Amino acid sequence: MKFAKLAVVGAALTLVVGACGSSTAAAPTAIKIAIELPLQGSDKAASDPIIKGIRLALKQAGGAAGGYTITIPDSAIFDDALASTGAHDPQTGANNMTKIVSDEQYMAVIGPLNSGVAKAQIPISNASGLLQCSPANTNTDLTKGAPAAAIRTKPNNYVRVVTTDDIQGPAAALYIYNTLKKTSVYIIDDTQTFGKGVADSFEAAFKAAGGTVVKHDAAPQTTQDYVSIMTAAKALNPQAIYFGGVTASGGARILLAAAQVGLGSIPFVGPDGINDGSGATANSFLNLAGAKAANSFSTLAGPGTFDGKAKFDADYKAEYGIDSTGYAGQGFACAQIVLDAIGRAGAGKPASYAALKEAVRAAATDTGHTYKTIVGDVTFDKNGDTSQLIVSIYSFDPAGASGKGDWKFESQLDAAKK
Amino acid sequence: MTATSPAVAASNSLTRGLRVIGLAVGAILIYLLVLWRALEFASELTAGNTMQGSLIAALTRFDDVGNAYLAQALQQTVNALSIGAIYALIALGYTMVYGIIELINFAHGDIFMIGAMLAVVFLGGLLHQQEAVNNIPILIALILGALVFAMPIVGLINVFIERTVYRPLRNAPRLAPLITAVGVSFILQNIVLTIAGSGDRASPQIFPLDAQIPFGGAEISILSIFIFALSLGLMLGLQNFVGRSRMGRAMRATAQDQSAASLMGVDLNQTIALTFLLGGMLAGAAGVAWGLRFGFVRFDLGFNSGLKAFTAAVLGGIGNISGAVLGGFIIGFIENFASSLGFSRWSEFLVFMVLTFVLIFKPSGILGQLTGDRA
Repeated sequence: MKFAKLAVVGAALTLVVGACGSSTAAAPTAIKIAIELPLQGSDKAASDPIIKGIRLALKQAGGAAGGYTITIPDSAIFDDALASTGAHDPQTGANNMTKIVSDEQYMAVIGPLNSGVAKAQIPISNASGLLQCSPANTNTDLTKGAPAAAIRTKPNNYVRVVTTDDIQGPAAALYIYNTLKKTSVYIIDDTQTFGKGVADSFEAAFKAAGGTVVKHDAAPQTTQDYVSIMTAAKALNPQAIYFGGVTASGGARILLAAAQVGLGSIPFVGPDGINDGSGATANSFLNLAGAKAANSFSTLAGPGTFDGKAKFDADYKAEYGIDSTGYAGQGFACAQIVLDAIGRAGAGKPASYAALKEAVRAAATDTGHTYKTIVGDVTFDKNGDTSQLIVSIYSFDPAGASGKGDWKFESQLDAAKK
Repeated sequence: MTATSPAVAASNSLTRGLRVIGLAVGAILIYLLVLWRALEFASELTAGNTMQGSLIAALTRFDDVGNAYLAQALQQTVNALSIGAIYALIALGYTMVYGIIELINFAHGDIFMIGAMLAVVFLGGLLHQQEAVNNIPILIALILGALVFAMPIVGLINVFIERTVYRPLRNAPRLAPLITAVGVSFILQNIVLTIAGSGDRASPQIFPLDAQIPFGGAEISILSIFIFALSLGLMLGLQNFVGRSRMGRAMRATAQDQSAASLMGVDLNQTIALTFLLGGMLAGAAGVAWGLRFGFVRFDLGFNSGLKAFTAAVLGGIGNISGAVLGGFIIGFIENFASSLGFSRWSEFLVFMVLTFVLIFKPSGILGQLTGDRA
C-alpha cells in the first residue's frame, strides 16, 4: 500500500519535472503578439483604428520576423472595458495582463489605450519582463519621475510611440493662446489619471503663456447633469473651454451642455481622448456631438502629417475600406517596433520562449537603436519615451466623412525644435 | 358627518390649490434669494475675503456686481425646476407602486431609461429629426408625437412586468418581490445594453436650445420652462385623475386597504395594473424630457436617476403623491445648489445628508406616509 502510494507520487513528480523541463527546452517557433484595448462603448471608437493599424503592419511584414511566425489570433485581443460602464476599467486591464504574461507564447503586448489602465498593468508586465508598447498612453507619470519608478521592479519593459501630456497639454494651451487668440479659459476634467493629468499640464502652460484660467472644475464619469455646471461656467465668461478626458468620461456630454447654456460658439478644445473618429464612427465624440462640434479642436500626441502618410492612408483604405483616424498610424508603428525587436532578438537564436521574451524586451528598450517607423524615426530613451515630441492639432471639418463631420489636421508643434 | 356641498368642496380645493401654489412660488423665491447670496458669498471667499467678511458682504452687498449673480441664480433656479420636474415624474411612479402594493419597484428607473431610448428611436430613428426645429407648430407636433409614442409603450411594458413578474409574487414574503425587482432592473438594462451598446447615444434635441428669454441680465432657457410646465401638467392630470375619477378612487381605496377595497367591488388586478400603467407613462414622459434637455442617453441612465427619484419619493413620504412631487423638486434643487456653487461632486453627499436628516426627525418623510392600514 505504502509502496503503491510512493510509486504514484514518484510517477507524478517525474511527469511534472518532465513537463517543466520540456517547455523550457523547446526552441520557440510560433509566437504571438497580444493586443490589449477597450473594445466597448465610446472607447471602442478609438481602439478599432489601432487594431486595424497593427494588423496592417503585421500583414505587410508577412506575418513573420526574425525567423518566427507571428500571429495575432482573435484570442490574443483582450478587452479592458466593462459592459456595465461602457468604458475602460483598470482592474479588468490588470486581469487581462495577468492572463497575457502567463502565456509564454506572447512576446509582446500592444496597448492599452488609457493611462489609468496602463498604471495598473505596468507592474505586472514589468515583473514578467514582457515588452509592452502603447500606441496611445500619454500620462507623464507612466514613464517619468518617482511614480514611474514605483511601478517598475525590473528593467524597463514599457515603451510608447506617442509623446507625453506634459507636451500635449501645453501644445493645446499655446494653440489657444497664440493661434486662436483666446486669453481666458474654463477647464473641466474627468478626475481620471489621464484627464486630470493633461488638464493640469494645460493649466500650467496656459498661465505661463499669460492667459487666465477662470475655473478648473472636475466632474467624474458618472455625472449626468452637466447643465448646471456649465451654467455656472458661463457666468465666468470664459473665451474657450478645455476638457481633460476622453469621450467615454463625458467629453460629448459637456459640449452638449455647453451648447445649451450659450457657450456653444466658443472654442471647445480637448486632448486625444476626443479625437476618436469622424461623425460616422459610432459613439465617437463627433458622432455624439453632431453639429454642435462646430468650434471643437483636439490634439493628438503624435504627428498628424508625416512622410509616408499618403501611402499609409491609401494602404489602410485599400485594406479596410475606410479612412484611417486617430491613432491608427501609432498602432502600425507599435507593431513595426515589436516586429523589429523580435527580428533583432531572434538573430541570437534564443533557446527558449523565456529567453526570447527577455531578448525582445532588451532589444526594444535599447536606447541606442533607431526605428524607422511609419510616423518617422523613433528612438526610445531610458524611460521608454519616444524621441518624437510632436503634438498635432485638429479642427472640426463639417464637410468631412461625407457631411457627417471629421477632424481636419491644422498644424503640429514639435517640442524638440524649440 | 355632514357632506360638503359641491360648491364648498370646490372652493376648498381652490383655496388649497392656491395655498400650494403660493407655497411653491414662495419656496422658489426663497431658493433664488439664498442662491444669489450664496454665489456672492462664494465669490467673496475666492477673492480672498475672510469667512465673516464674505458673510457680511453676502448679506449687505446688493449693488451692480450682485446683479450678475442674480442673473446666474435665476438661470440656475430655472435649471433646478426642470431637473426637479424630471425627478418628480419618476418619483411618482415609485411612490404610487409602493403605496398600492408596498413594493419598491427597483426597475422603475430603467423604465425611465427605456422612455428616453424610445424618444431617440422615434425622433432620430423613425423621423430622422436630429436638429433643432424652429417652426413652433411642427415642434409641438414632434414633441407630442414623441410623448404619444413613448408614454403608452413604456406604460404597457410596466404593466407587462407587473403581470408576469410581480403579480405571482403578490402574496410572497416581502423579500421575494424586492429581489425580483432588482433582477428586472438588471434584465431591462442588459436588454437595452445588447440592443443599443454601452456608449452614450445622442438624443435629438429638437427643442432649440438658443430659445431664451432675456430677463434682468439672465438668459432663461425656454426649454427648462417647457419641461417644468409639461411635468406640472402631467402631475396635475394625475392628481385630478386619482382624486376625482372612479378608477382613481379605486386606486386610493386599494392603497388604503386591499381586502376592504376588494370587498367593495374593486377589481384589484385591474387597479394595480392601472397604477403601473400610469407610473410607467409618467416615467416615459420624463424620459422624453431628459432626451430633449440633455441630448444623450445611456443604458445605465436609470440607475443614477432612479436612485435619486426613489430618494425623492422617500424624502417626501413614500406612498404620498404630493410627497413624491415635493421630494423630486427638493432633490433637484439640492443638486442644482451644489453644482451652481462649484461643488457638484458633493451633490449626492448633500442629497443623502438631507435625506438622513429628515428621516431621523420624521421617519415617514416630509408629508408623511400613506400606505395601507394594518388592521
